Amino acid sequence: MDMKRAYYEDVRFFSSGAVVFWFAALIIALGIYPFVFKNYYVYVANYVAINIMVVVGLNLLVGYTGQISLGHAGFFAVGAYGTIALMTQAHFPFLAALISAGFIAAILGFLLGLPALRLEGPYLAIATLGFGVTITQIIGKIDLLGGRQGLHAPDLIVLGRHLNTDREFYFLVVPITVLLVLFARNLTKTKVGRAFVAIRDAEIAAETIGVNLVMYKTLAFAISAFYAGVAGGLYAFVLRFIDPELFGLFMSIMFLTMAVVGGLGSVMGPVAGAMLLSWLDLELRNILSVPYLGQWLRQLSEQYFSLTGVSNIQFIVFGGILIFIMIFEPLGLYGFWIRTKKYWKTWPF
Amino acid sequence: MIDLMQMIISGIAVGSSYALMGLGMVLIYKSSAVPNFVQGEMALLPVFIAYMIIDTYGYPVHVAFAGALAFAVLLGCFLEFAIVRRAKEPNVIGLIIITIGMEMALLGLVSWKFGADQRTMPFPISSYDSVMVGGLYISTLDLLTLTVALVLMTGLFLFFRFTKFGVAMKATQQNEAVARLMGIRTRRVKMMTWGISAMVGTVAGLLIAPTIIEPYMMWDPLLKGFAGAVVGGMTSLPGAVFGAYIVGIIEHLFGGYVSIEFKSVVAFAVIVIVLCVKPSGLFARHYVKKV
Amino acid sequence: MKKTLLAALIGMTVMFGFNAAGYCEVGVTDTEIHIGQWGPQTGPAAAWGAVARGTDAYFKWINANGGIHGRKLVHHFFDDAYNPAKTKAGVKQLQEQTGIFAWVSGVGTAPGLAVKEYLLERKIPWVGPSSGSRHWVDPPEKTIFNVYPLYLGDAQILTEYAITKLGKKKIAIVYQNDDYGRQGLEGAEFVMKEKGMALVASVPAAVTDTDMKPHVMKLKQSEADAVLLFVTPGGVARLIGTGKAMQFEPQWLSTTTCGDFPLMMAITKGLYKGVISASFGMGQPTGNIGELQSSDAPALDLLATYKEEVYDKYASKDERWGYTFSTGIGLSEPLVEALKRCGRDLTREKLVQELEGLKDFKGLMGRITYAPFDPEDPMCRIGQNEIYLQECMDGGQSKILTDWQETEYIPSGE
Repeated sequence: MDMKRAYYEDVRFFSSGAVVFWFAALIIALGIYPFVFKNYYVYVANYVAINIMVVVGLNLLVGYTGQISLGHAGFFAVGAYGTIALMTQAHFPFLAALISAGFIAAILGFLLGLPALRLEGPYLAIATLGFGVTITQIIGKIDLLGGRQGLHAPDLIVLGRHLNTDREFYFLVVPITVLLVLFARNLTKTKVGRAFVAIRDAEIAAETIGVNLVMYKTLAFAISAFYAGVAGGLYAFVLRFIDPELFGLFMSIMFLTMAVVGGLGSVMGPVAGAMLLSWLDLELRNILSVPYLGQWLRQLSEQYFSLTGVSNIQFIVFGGILIFIMIFEPLGLYGFWIRTKKYWKTWPF
Repeated sequence: MIDLMQMIISGIAVGSSYALMGLGMVLIYKSSAVPNFVQGEMALLPVFIAYMIIDTYGYPVHVAFAGALAFAVLLGCFLEFAIVRRAKEPNVIGLIIITIGMEMALLGLVSWKFGADQRTMPFPISSYDSVMVGGLYISTLDLLTLTVALVLMTGLFLFFRFTKFGVAMKATQQNEAVARLMGIRTRRVKMMTWGISAMVGTVAGLLIAPTIIEPYMMWDPLLKGFAGAVVGGMTSLPGAVFGAYIVGIIEHLFGGYVSIEFKSVVAFAVIVIVLCVKPSGLFARHYVKKV
Repeated sequence: MKKTLLAALIGMTVMFGFNAAGYCEVGVTDTEIHIGQWGPQTGPAAAWGAVARGTDAYFKWINANGGIHGRKLVHHFFDDAYNPAKTKAGVKQLQEQTGIFAWVSGVGTAPGLAVKEYLLERKIPWVGPSSGSRHWVDPPEKTIFNVYPLYLGDAQILTEYAITKLGKKKIAIVYQNDDYGRQGLEGAEFVMKEKGMALVASVPAAVTDTDMKPHVMKLKQSEADAVLLFVTPGGVARLIGTGKAMQFEPQWLSTTTCGDFPLMMAITKGLYKGVISASFGMGQPTGNIGELQSSDAPALDLLATYKEEVYDKYASKDERWGYTFSTGIGLSEPLVEALKRCGRDLTREKLVQELEGLKDFKGLMGRITYAPFDPEDPMCRIGQNEIYLQECMDGGQSKILTDWQETEYIPSGE
């Protein structure tokens, strides 16, 4: 159905008029969102947008290049600490600090990419995991970065304007997110993106046709780390207080999970995955206030389990959703979308 | 000198529980090709079941432990049969996420039932007694853990070498298609592998439990066991054991001589160095993928 | 056009009139006062979740006894899993959608710091953050009222006691590598410096450390005869146990965090006997040093009332009567007292005023005193500034070692 007759059709920014329409609609919807919804939902949107950034970047590494990473919370932490430190210690303006912190993360990503050249599968997983847990230990040791006692974010001033409320911050986070997602989408259509895919599908074949493995693998790590770094820098201002404990292994696992549940090897899949799982992560705490279900769960707890631990149902639901999605659709949410689309386009056959 | 010896002994002691977790992971990695993140929780639930048998129903410790081990085998088989096997067109990373999902669900289940309070498991041997050998302290529980680990490893070795089922397992791991052609019920073999792996993990869990049991107690041994298994090569049982002991000893030497703060992460740095030299670990043969 | 304007004007007058007749303060209606709280019910810190459940049971008891001046306390508490991003989300949601009059307790330094600014900007009173961090009083803030005695004070009094009363010369500390442990280290170093001494060892421990042999070896090499333990109850159990296995048995001293003797005796299998810990309530020095008290069978009137009336009637059946649960009661007592003093006419401004007026208020914990706001003086918001020391005896009973002891506040940056 998506027949392409020429190379330029494939790399075009908008593949059809319908896409232009939907893209415009999305931009408008994003623009009016904070005025329609309450402040709390704007906060949630900021949080989700930051997760989208990380996961889209992670997907360039995991989904397109076929490398696994369980250490992205480390890059996230570097971005967060880097941004604040550059602002308070070196008096960088915010945007410069954010981008510089992103590049610091990218350099670390490049360095981590070097040993990763020789590793794959579980070996790479444990090496990246090690990076993630080590970097927070190192940060905790540096007194300049607040050490173990954490660090407060300074006032946020962008282009001479103070951003204090969630609404104002929204108009900083969401445009950056949209830009980064578009950049990722375009990257996948370029020579670089195709080299990533070639490496993922057959490393040796890619090398024989002239793809520079060293360059592209480390590049994938660096780009992916840059995304996480920028997202981390923004996250520091969502919380306005950070300490090393925040960026634990669990966070890295969540990032990977979001990417995979969304659907590896697509751009919109991880966006959907990040939206679904980070929203669930925030909202599942209210599961006991759902009418009927909440009361039933409480009764069940009283009879067979314990009322003090009743909140842990969140974990069961969350884990159950992961299992359910991955069992039925290895391509994640993106797979569901493709199947639904196919079903409607070919209906009634 | 005596300090050095003490550190090595302590490293070996803690390495034993890492080794058991690592063994469990390697067993599953060999049969299902997935780093198994639910390994810790496959042990956690049986440990809490044992606690419940003792605490609520008042049975003696050995009954409870036997019950826990039997339950672990069933749990492992169930997870493979009901969840892992159902995955459609599984790829490695999808399977990893499935194990993470199972991990969360089981952890949630245990915390839901037992709450977050810390408890201890009644145990015939005190976890805080020690024997002294030439100026070195060895805690009796560590001694027991070491013995049990060695016995279990020998048992597994003999099992793979001499029993029909063990050979079938090995065959399945080496080449599943051919094994099936030879009349081995490979799916059943896989299921049993999960059961055995859960049991090995539970042994580790039961030996940690006399100190403190709480829902998050298996997290650290799991990671260190995984690290040890990777050092050893992920596909080699003796490698996993050796790797786990190395991790334990390095941790203690580093904690003693360099920095106690970085003790818990030094293992990972060592892994990166080891892997740079031998990308598939110390003991596994490095297969170069062909096009 | 004119008619529309007139209609609008009338409409607005009616609305304002209605507001003036009702209560214009957020979270207060004719029959209800909405109080918010967060606390981890899941995740690695879930053991502290009992604080929120304690407050919940306490509020239920107050409501059953007629509430406060005809109003019921509506307690909204949510699970943040000790994740500051979730704390912030939950606080915003409740504040903006339900409307919360004041916040009480709230476990943890990092979660609290993530919402501190938000609550301050809106001038929402927050009473009794559930952690002894210096962040709550330094700098002091108009609407944040600390109750929990600072970790710094624990360290000062324990060190002082070890040196002067026990005559120990070589003092070491094991501190958790976070805000809690670092402040303990600072307090201990402060006292040692005053005495012209130095700690013989300061050993950091991670929250996730389950293997304490390297730590104990460090302590043993330093030949310490008294060791301060600024770690979690689990960490304390492992340290003391490993110490026994390695035949290193100094005088252990621990903080208010590990003052729940029945629990500590259970998880150390009896090794906690003889350990000295700081305490901010639960038992009480009644003037007789050396008196034995048991929190399982409370001898004190107030404690017994809370056990029978609050715990037995309103806690779920799998709840444990322990330190964490009763801390939830103790931290919210000042708020309830101030609400009572406000009378029927309740506003946030008045609540702050009444809180500032609390002088030597005595509930489950020590004496709580605030003073009118002074940005230069942390003491105006410190609340409880006294603890006492107790020794763990057989069966988790506590032997009272000292009377209430006040501490000198160490300003940050010294």
